[in-house]
Amino acid sequence: MIMLIILIPILTGILIPLIPFKKRIHMEIFLETMVIINSVLVWYMLVHHSESIFTLANFTGNLSVSFKIDGMSMVFGGLVSALWPLATLYAFEYMTKEEHEKTFFMFYTMTYGVTLGIAMAANLLTMYFFYELLTLVTVPLVMHTLTREAILASRKYLYYSLGGAAFAFIGLIFVIIYGSTTNFVLGGVLEPEKIGDRTNILLLIYVIAFVGFGVKAALCPFNSWLPDAGVAPTPVTALLHAVAVVKSGAFAIIRLTYYSFGTEFIKGTWAQNVVMAVVMFTIIYGCSRAVKETHLKRRLAYSTISNLSYILFGVTIMTPLGLVGALTHLVFHAVMKIASFFCAGAVMYQTDRHYVHELDGMGYRMPCVFGIFTVSSLALMGVPGLAGFVSKWNLASAAVESGNTLACWGIVCLLISALLTAIYMMTIVVRAFFPGKDFDVSTLAGIKDPSWKMLVPLFVFTIFIIGFGLFSETIVKFFSDVAAGVY
Amino acid sequence: MQYMLLSVFFPVVAGISLLVGKEIKNRKILLITTGTFLAVTSILIMLAVCLSGESIYTLFSLTDRLPILFKMDGVSVVFAVMAAIIFSGAGVFSFEYMKHEEKEKRFYGFYLIVFGILIALCFAGNLITFYLFYEMLTLSSFPLVLHNRSREAVMAGLKYLFYSLCGAYMVLFGLYFVERYGNTLTFSAGGVISAQVAADHGEFLLFAAFFMILGFGVKAGMFPLHAWLVAAHPAAPAPASAVFSAMIVKVGVLGIIRVVYYIFGASFLRGSWVQTVWLTLTLLTVFMGSMLAYREPVLKKRLAYSTISQISYILFGLAVMNGEGVTGSLLHVLCHGFIKAVLFLCVGAVIYQTGKTRADELRGIGKEMPLLMICYTIVSLGLIGIPPMGGFVSKWHLAIGALSSGIPVFDWLGPVILLVSALLTAGYLLPITIQGFFPVEDYDYGALQKKEPSPLMTVPVLLLTLLSVLIGLMPEEVIRYLTQIIEKIV
Repeated sequence: MIMLIILIPILTGILIPLIPFKKRIHMEIFLETMVIINSVLVWYMLVHHSESIFTLANFTGNLSVSFKIDGMSMVFGGLVSALWPLATLYAFEYMTKEEHEKTFFMFYTMTYGVTLGIAMAANLLTMYFFYELLTLVTVPLVMHTLTREAILASRKYLYYSLGGAAFAFIGLIFVIIYGSTTNFVLGGVLEPEKIGDRTNILLLIYVIAFVGFGVKAALCPFNSWLPDAGVAPTPVTALLHAVAVVKSGAFAIIRLTYYSFGTEFIKGTWAQNVVMAVVMFTIIYGCSRAVKETHLKRRLAYSTISNLSYILFGVTIMTPLGLVGALTHLVFHAVMKIASFFCAGAVMYQTDRHYVHELDGMGYRMPCVFGIFTVSSLALMGVPGLAGFVSKWNLASAAVESGNTLACWGIVCLLISALLTAIYMMTIVVRAFFPGKDFDVSTLAGIKDPSWKMLVPLFVFTIFIIGFGLFSETIVKFFSDVAAGVY
Repeated sequence: MQYMLLSVFFPVVAGISLLVGKEIKNRKILLITTGTFLAVTSILIMLAVCLSGESIYTLFSLTDRLPILFKMDGVSVVFAVMAAIIFSGAGVFSFEYMKHEEKEKRFYGFYLIVFGILIALCFAGNLITFYLFYEMLTLSSFPLVLHNRSREAVMAGLKYLFYSLCGAYMVLFGLYFVERYGNTLTFSAGGVISAQVAADHGEFLLFAAFFMILGFGVKAGMFPLHAWLVAAHPAAPAPASAVFSAMIVKVGVLGIIRVVYYIFGASFLRGSWVQTVWLTLTLLTVFMGSMLAYREPVLKKRLAYSTISQISYILFGLAVMNGEGVTGSLLHVLCHGFIKAVLFLCVGAVIYQTGKTRADELRGIGKEMPLLMICYTIVSLGLIGIPPMGGFVSKWHLAIGALSSGIPVFDWLGPVILLVSALLTAGYLLPITIQGFFPVEDYDYGALQKKEPSPLMTVPVLLLTLLSVLIGLMPEEVIRYLTQIIEKIV
């Protein structure tokens, strides 16, 4: 059954170039139906999940490819499957202006399956396998436009990701050797008697693996692939480079920290301080670069870099509350960032404008898009009543609760970053709604809001941003249960 | 209770409906609509103040530990009543003033929203509610600053936005710690930090308190984050500057009152390093503001510096943390509110009628607009602190408070600086009166024109002047009311 939800998207993807669709609309209907069916299946399975592990193949000893649904899978799988149909809808409209649509949708849909594979993986090996696969299926998407820039960007992406995975692989081996099992168990699987006096080596390995998976989560200094990969079509940047791919990195780090090495082993050691310091630096670094950046999508990409490190900050606090904070931001940031990316995409699609300084006065021409952009900006800044506030609140109160001094400095980083977020987002909003006095409105003639295919996803995300902000109790309760290992 | 909610949400909804509604062609209809909204809101506020009593109302919960709730107490009443008066007055004034600006509808829309949010801040019952509306206030009031969309105005608006957000995030930093260590986030007279916690985590909490004071101090124009005031006031239309100076900066004061007296408690902070640093900052700001105002030729900037200095009088009284000092502060909140509104409106009327913005261009202005300049002179005397004006009473209490506080150095340094600053205040406000009424001999009386503006401008100014004088003449009633509040918290 678990295999089904992973295979449906992959098979659908493969079928797309094979089936001779008469009209574009037929392909759209076929694709959207399959994606929705799969999402419904995923949600059905998440709700009615069983404790059992499904093993696909067994290699030697305790190495196997197997799947299981636990709390973490529910969070990540649920998130991905909720976003995918909407992003696909958006992509139909966006891709009308690009070539090789079929190839694009083939890989785009396959990525869905692979991401679910990561979410449902029951042990490190399976996760590692899908993790590598994810890199391979998304490279063609980055390369899509086939410009020189795109090819360079995709090559960079490939090298960075594979390199990171190699580091992560080292961690995998050590967990196999020193752990009781490679399956994910909340609290870790390392066996103290096997470790003996080699604690420091294992901590070093943890740091290496953290950084390795951190490459996909755009940890500084391995972040430069992410802004470059922004050359890909916007549905890819929005869904993959703000959610699916980069959050796979964060997801893998959560698995590594909470489910393999175990927080008890790492908490309070130098390894925790090192990773936390790197994460804090990335938070500030990403924001500062975003302030300097004038290309809209690249600015959002840098913002993603810093926000991903919010998640990792929650992870490195290494308490259940920290995990709650991380999960909250994992989900909430996904919604906020995908909304702002889709707005940027809508602007690019409608007007072919890519730079911040070209956005003067657009707020009056595209009121829906820029209204939603404003909401997502405010949410990213952490204005109370919107999603971002709740996740930052959870992260910060986890940091306060932990009593770790470095974590308290982390709060300072979060707040500085919030201020920088305000600077890089609000300058755009002000530009769009309050152009200078001598601004010539006629230069914007003919620009208007995009069609419903783009607006529907945007409105859905806005509803979620506000809904999560106002009524977060239920979902945060669910995250607490996940962090406590209830599921 | 329902009036409390209505007085918050009615203006906000009205403002939003103005913003998103169709362009109103007929200016008269727009003015009548706005005027009705303002009047209804003011009535609602008065009803809320009179009928609600000490009720608490929880609107909803942001998360399980963060309820959004409204509560009425003495401090809310003082601030809410003042807000109602000043917003109505400046609103009526703007009906005339905004004639020479574009996009009036947008201005009134945001004006109403700011009004509502301000009332929400007055009625906020816990720190998270206060923080929520504090952010909202920043976001809804910065469009007022960049209203005319000149490059200077946009820059000023952004500056205001980022300074305020910076302050808000400092507050948030403290908020995380208060939420963790305090008994509750609800404002309770005397504080929410238990003695046990204060002993265990005192150092952390002092840091948190300091950051929160500094953060709210941004809105109150406290050194070192005061620069936005000077940029924002000249850029905004005059009625907006008036409410900014008279009310919005006071929100910073309200925030500090809430944090110091209702969250941490005066007994926790008294004698700590936070108090010392805070006193130093306020005195520095008082002196620096007056000095800069004295040297500033552009009228609105001069008044902005004056606001910086005067608000720090209030903060000084709060930092002294005794009954007299706080009485002086709250009195000065009222006096300065009315006085500064009048000053900005007068300057706005001058700009509107003559286009002159600099102090040295105003020779003979008193002959041209006698009524307004008489009001200007009266309130100037009040701000300097000449008896029997309101300013005298408040400064008297501030000085007494400082002298009786027994804090080393500050008990005599405070009054001295207040006096020096009063002198400077006379130095920067009165020359305009003198030049205005006594233009020297070579003044050409032939070219003199009567430029008294329409009653829409003069009546609000007159009424506000009257109020500021009344406080000075009959301070007993006000002080008796304030004492009831202060007894509980100091």
